[in-house]
Amino acid sequence: MRNPSFAAVAASITLLSSTTATYAASDTDIQAMKAEIQSMRQSYENRIAELESKLSKIENQKPAAQQAVAPAPVSARQSARTIRDNSFNPSVGLILNGKYSGFSEDNSAFAGFAVGEEGERGKQGFGLDESEFNFSSNVDDKFYGSVTAAIVREGGEDKIELEEAYVQTLPGMGLPKGMNVKAGRALWTLGYLNEHHAHTDDFADRPLPYRVFLNSAFNDDGAEASYVLPTDFYSEIGGGAFRGDDYPFGGPSGGGFDAWSAYARVGDDIGENQSWRFGVSILSGDAGGRGGNEDAVNFTGDSDLYAADLRYTWAPTGNPRAQEVLLQGEYFWRSEDGAYEDFGAGTGAVPFDDNAQGWYAQGVYKFLPQWRIGYRYSRLKTPDVPLGLLGSALDSSGYNPDAHAVMADWTNSEFSRVRLQYNHEELTRGQNDDQIFLQYIMSIGAHGAHKY
Amino acid sequence: MTMKRIFPALFFLGLMIAAPPGAQAKVNLFACEPEWAALARELGGDDVEIFTATTPRQDPHHVRARPSLIGAMRRADLVICTGASLEVGWLPILLQKAGNENAQPGGAGLLLAAELVPLLEKPVRLDRAEGDIHPEGNPHVHLNPHNIALIAQALTDRLKSVDAAKADAYQARFYNFAARWRDATQRWEQQAAGLKGATIVVHHKAFTYLLAWLGIQEAGVLEPKPGIPPTASHLEALLQKLTLVPARLIVRTPYDPADASVWLSQKTGARAIVLPFTVGGDAESGDLFALFERTIALLKGASGA
Repeated sequence: MRNPSFAAVAASITLLSSTTATYAASDTDIQAMKAEIQSMRQSYENRIAELESKLSKIENQKPAAQQAVAPAPVSARQSARTIRDNSFNPSVGLILNGKYSGFSEDNSAFAGFAVGEEGERGKQGFGLDESEFNFSSNVDDKFYGSVTAAIVREGGEDKIELEEAYVQTLPGMGLPKGMNVKAGRALWTLGYLNEHHAHTDDFADRPLPYRVFLNSAFNDDGAEASYVLPTDFYSEIGGGAFRGDDYPFGGPSGGGFDAWSAYARVGDDIGENQSWRFGVSILSGDAGGRGGNEDAVNFTGDSDLYAADLRYTWAPTGNPRAQEVLLQGEYFWRSEDGAYEDFGAGTGAVPFDDNAQGWYAQGVYKFLPQWRIGYRYSRLKTPDVPLGLLGSALDSSGYNPDAHAVMADWTNSEFSRVRLQYNHEELTRGQNDDQIFLQYIMSIGAHGAHKY
Repeated sequence: MTMKRIFPALFFLGLMIAAPPGAQAKVNLFACEPEWAALARELGGDDVEIFTATTPRQDPHHVRARPSLIGAMRRADLVICTGASLEVGWLPILLQKAGNENAQPGGAGLLLAAELVPLLEKPVRLDRAEGDIHPEGNPHVHLNPHNIALIAQALTDRLKSVDAAKADAYQARFYNFAARWRDATQRWEQQAAGLKGATIVVHHKAFTYLLAWLGIQEAGVLEPKPGIPPTASHLEALLQKLTLVPARLIVRTPYDPADASVWLSQKTGARAIVLPFTVGGDAESGDLFALFERTIALLKGASGA
């Protein structure tokens, strides 16, 4: 070849590496190697015996074989085939998530808002939050599939709630570089928290704007495309079309697609220790009869939700394993044009065209590899109500709900976490709800990597 | 209502701005760890543009799938990582999110170093009660120079296939590197001969391949289980064990916390040192050659061999 010394170099490298590999091996390695040699010997002996018997057969049938050179080994190959149906089983993961909750107030209604079931305050006492199981796998060279189902207790019965069931394109699909399409039911890209499973949250409950505007999370049936742009920093855009069945929409609808979304995100590092991401998104659609406050309140009309989210992480020496600061905030602006009706107050359908706002900001500080503390403040700005809704559940009489949360958690490994949290919520005028949560989050089996 | 119109308009404007750039002269290489970036620099020279995902002071097990990493992964023509589940907490997100056909598991654009070398410490019992164990074996393969030689060969092949026009240049650099590396390896083995049989305590099982290469005994590990931070009871037990089999040194990586090493050092008299662990791990370890020179010098200096 071009360089005569190459062969010598390569040979010596191979020689050297093979010698170290041998004396670097531990006893178990030696056992494993011996076993492997044994099995190789066995399989070669079998193969030789098989070939010998085949050869003798062919020699015996020579006259026949001269007429047709039949591909004889087919039957031999079939008999050697092993059944490996389980080899392609999907990854299976389980999240065990439960908590003890204690509240000082009986009433937990929001001033000025009617909320969905997931947006309400949780149950008092012991309860499983969302213990969920996940199956995921590549379908083939072009698609990936994932199913996440939560087991929840509603109305005294354990029910299976399909949180996510989607297929997603793989790069082998041949879409433009950086593009993904996802279809089915999923926690769609919107703000920061929406696409995250609740077990990855830094607090035991979702902040007020998520409870009021999204009923915890928007996971309608639909499809979404995302595209990572070819820029030097990270930037991504995307959008989706949805059925419009999930909160903040819902109710009977005429066509197939009653809601759509769009988002744009940018992010980068600042030096080695800091990174950030900023995004804006919109979720817009028709609510054909959205129930709230256990269907006591109904909304029909257009609902548009705009969101901005910012996340910033700082880790000394860039090593989040030892210490880390996470700052995160989201701002929501909801504009609704339609009609509200409070059945309890007997208001009849009252035309409504106004906007509401909500935001939260939180900081989490990991001061030891296994210990973190955090604080979160969330606040809502209630809309003005038309005369027809005065005295109804939607009448905030100018009050804006807010809530404080303080938490400390201990993370034994990346698979287990125990959290203690204290909330102080003032959701209506004069309310002082002190809440305490003791929560565990454990993960068994396959555990996907976490998003930023 | 106006906002409702402006938003989609901005969205599509963004799409149009996103015209793909022209053909790149250099190969964009994404290295998960500094050691692979250093190897790519040796073999790729000026023909590659290298992005390194982690710094020497970051624990590669625990890196966030930061936005900047997604952007870099999208641009990559070739990705080299350790594999063996070292990056399991962040690499899959990058591969999925970046949507880059070059870099997919099993593809030509993704090279996993641990798949090319014999792995040590393959767990007999796969159970998370054993800590953060990797089913494939110990992933920290780069501290044995013979492993580097094998991986250099594979990386050269990948560079040649990604950038066929410059195949001769990559091959020439490989010949040059392999010859220098072979000589250096022999020299290091001679220099470190006195370390054979020495006993060392490690913070995390990050030095397994180094110790196996040099014939050094691992007298204990400060972490009770891989990935679980040292506990008082475990350190007490280790201290008892070390009174029977004394250790000469306690070593840790630049990203491991110092407290446990320092405590044990004070109790036993064994010296606690920080090894660079990877390229750039200290001021002296500027490239792969310097990393090994420095590591052996530190081990010899501190143990008096």
